[in-house]
Amino acid sequence: MLSFEPYGNPTYFALLGVALLPLMIGLLYGKRSRLYETLISIFFLVLTFGGPKWTQGVALIIYILYEVALTWGYAVYRRHKNSGPFFYVMVILAILPLTIVKVTPAVENGQSSLIGFLGVSYLTFRAVQTMMETRDGTLKDYNIMTFLQFMLFFPTISSGPIDRYRRFEADYRSVPDREKYLGMVQKGIRYIFVGFLYKFILAYYFGTMLMPKLQLMAMNSRGGFLDLSWPVIGYMYCYSADLFFDFAGYSLFAVGTSYIMGIETPMNFNQPWRSPNIKDFWNRWHITLSFWFRDFIYMRLVFWFMKHKVFKKPTTTANVTYIINMLVMGFWHGVTWYYITYGLFHGVALVVNDTWLRYKKKHRASVPHNRFTQWFAIFLTANMVCFSFLIFSGLLDKLWFQ
Amino acid sequence: MAKRLLRIFGPLILAAVLVFAVLAMPVKLGFSHVSKSHERQAAVSLSPNVLRGKHIKEEALKDGFVPFFGSSEWSRFDPMHPSVLAQKYHRDYRPFLLGARGSQSLTQYFVMQNIQGQLRNKKAVFVISPQWFVKSGTRKDAFGFYYSQLQTAEWLTHFRSDAIDQYAAQRLLQMPAAQSDHFIYAALQRVASGKKLTDYQRFYLQTRKNMLTQEDQFFSGIDLPSQNLKKVNQQAQKLPTHYSYSALDALGGRLGKAATNDNRFGISNKFYHQGLKKELKHGKLKDFQKNLSYTKSPEFADFQLCLDQFARLNTNVLFIIPPVNAKWQKYTGLSASMLKQFDEKIHYQLQSQGFNNIVDLSDKGNVPYFMTDTIHLGWRGWLAVDQRVNPFLTKQQEQPKYSINDKFYSKKWQQLAPSDLKQYENEAK
Repeated sequence: MLSFEPYGNPTYFALLGVALLPLMIGLLYGKRSRLYETLISIFFLVLTFGGPKWTQGVALIIYILYEVALTWGYAVYRRHKNSGPFFYVMVILAILPLTIVKVTPAVENGQSSLIGFLGVSYLTFRAVQTMMETRDGTLKDYNIMTFLQFMLFFPTISSGPIDRYRRFEADYRSVPDREKYLGMVQKGIRYIFVGFLYKFILAYYFGTMLMPKLQLMAMNSRGGFLDLSWPVIGYMYCYSADLFFDFAGYSLFAVGTSYIMGIETPMNFNQPWRSPNIKDFWNRWHITLSFWFRDFIYMRLVFWFMKHKVFKKPTTTANVTYIINMLVMGFWHGVTWYYITYGLFHGVALVVNDTWLRYKKKHRASVPHNRFTQWFAIFLTANMVCFSFLIFSGLLDKLWFQ
Repeated sequence: MAKRLLRIFGPLILAAVLVFAVLAMPVKLGFSHVSKSHERQAAVSLSPNVLRGKHIKEEALKDGFVPFFGSSEWSRFDPMHPSVLAQKYHRDYRPFLLGARGSQSLTQYFVMQNIQGQLRNKKAVFVISPQWFVKSGTRKDAFGFYYSQLQTAEWLTHFRSDAIDQYAAQRLLQMPAAQSDHFIYAALQRVASGKKLTDYQRFYLQTRKNMLTQEDQFFSGIDLPSQNLKKVNQQAQKLPTHYSYSALDALGGRLGKAATNDNRFGISNKFYHQGLKKELKHGKLKDFQKNLSYTKSPEFADFQLCLDQFARLNTNVLFIIPPVNAKWQKYTGLSASMLKQFDEKIHYQLQSQGFNNIVDLSDKGNVPYFMTDTIHLGWRGWLAVDQRVNPFLTKQQEQPKYSINDKFYSKKWQQLAPSDLKQYENEAK
């Protein structure tokens, strides 16, 4: 039985090309066949979750039924009533499977949970978002079939980008005109080819060829201050490069494939290494995730804190929320000390950044702002981010505790 | 619209056609020359890419390098290591080291598949580690690490479907690595059950082989590790300018003494401090090999694959059987009589089929500075190897007469207790 990592090898892309061809011809002539789209979605889902990984496939099916029941149930309920506690219970239930998957390795000695499957996080984000917008009243006509298509849209199922229900639905219900669609195909093909460069050349070089050597060197150079050494610095940059090119490459594949299917899935990266500060970085790095956190955790918490007047000053509210927001992101990556420290680090960085920007605003005259400070800001931000990725990488855990 | 589509997809189609054409081309491209320095580097690199590949090995073996099949002992580069001696004293041969930690007979059999032209009617050296012959034979992950689709595809395009091929296919099917290509897996199933390949399978294998061969030519020379060649050069400087056995023996003793002076086992200090000392402290290693046996193992049949292949190619092979460090053996409780029995069984398998060039060092485990650590040859051990390897490779040898017997593939032979050898021999007659 054939089984693939999504976008993992040339065969996958060849199959993708063949499967998308009829769909593309249809869209060029203004037709969208729901049936065909559903069929190829099922085909690629079976390729990803079938064969030796069939247990994941079963977990996916049960999970989807569960989330459909919750979101549909809530949508029906919301038409008549709007109780806060009931909404909270529903959200907690929706997050429950993801929480179990993330906590299991920490309490079971690294064993992964039976109910887990590739992409469980990204599906949960989509389901929770659907539920929250239903409560807000911005999402009124919840439709089970559209929701299923939205959740199981195969190009983005394993690692995002995280689309929004209403945006997806608008694309899915319409057919772009020929001129626009040709532009999308052109973009899609370009994205996929840039993705090849990123994932199969650059990420391969940094991640597969260079990184193991640097890790070995770092492990062999232990014994100094905090077991740190030059190879650790090298590893830090190498890991950061690998992380970026691997994930940005994958995202380009996902977005490119979506475009060819006539769906404008949002972009995940926008030149993150040129950010002059950490806040800007999060507007450019894993954008759909950080915007999801912004809209559904940060903003909601800020409103809640303000409504209940928990803190006197608005800056305190913002700072506390930054920390909570990033800590949650840290926990989401996994319950290990280094993911949580990574989250805390970014939370603190955002607080420091805000404080500095306020200070700068107040003292416009005395703080210089020129091309040099601009470059320095970019340099500082990039290095700080790389340092945070060193924490994230878990190398320190290996250096110190293994 | 057509124009726009052509602009979008034209380059893509062109690129795909070009890549496929270059890869599937059955002819070699002109720029595949391997330089002398690259060959020297590859010969001692112990790189898994070199072992899995074809091109570099093939070119080097045409160029005066001799295949030295073995495993982890090759990484013990001291001044008496075969590669160092051959370089320092400008021997007519240079070892091409094949194998590293975890490579056993089955891996070596597939390594032989795409250098057949360079083995036919030539000479080779083969180190048999008794440690390979454990109850479960080669480890599946280690085999997977050295597994090469190129070698398997090449083997499948020239197999003859008799005992050797059927056994090799069956054995390969037991390895998870065989599932890395679905079509190859299906072909293996046919070979294992004695069937011929279908036309489509033959076409697929031929195309796949061409592609992998081109890939190997393009990429296997990239990023070749160079640290081992550096080690060889450094070690060569420690040797006297002119070869003299007694001077080298004395030097080996001196170097060995200095390198093993802080433990009671005569194990190199470096190896001893890399974790061994810690484990000894916990006392876990005392008598831990008491029940270990090398006498019943699927490895005996895997090894037969290598012998069978050598016989078919009429390769004249010098086999080396290294000892176990005697002090260490006593400490871990490894049975001396079991080692002797293993020796008898492997001798029978070799000699009854006409493989008579055997350097049996199994009784040298207590010679000082013969071993560099627990099971690996060092200073004087390498020197003893050289005493036989050098004349074998530089002097004219008598043509061997092999008579292969398929009974060595049987479960019965794999599991035969060496104490029943006599009876087995009589039954065979």
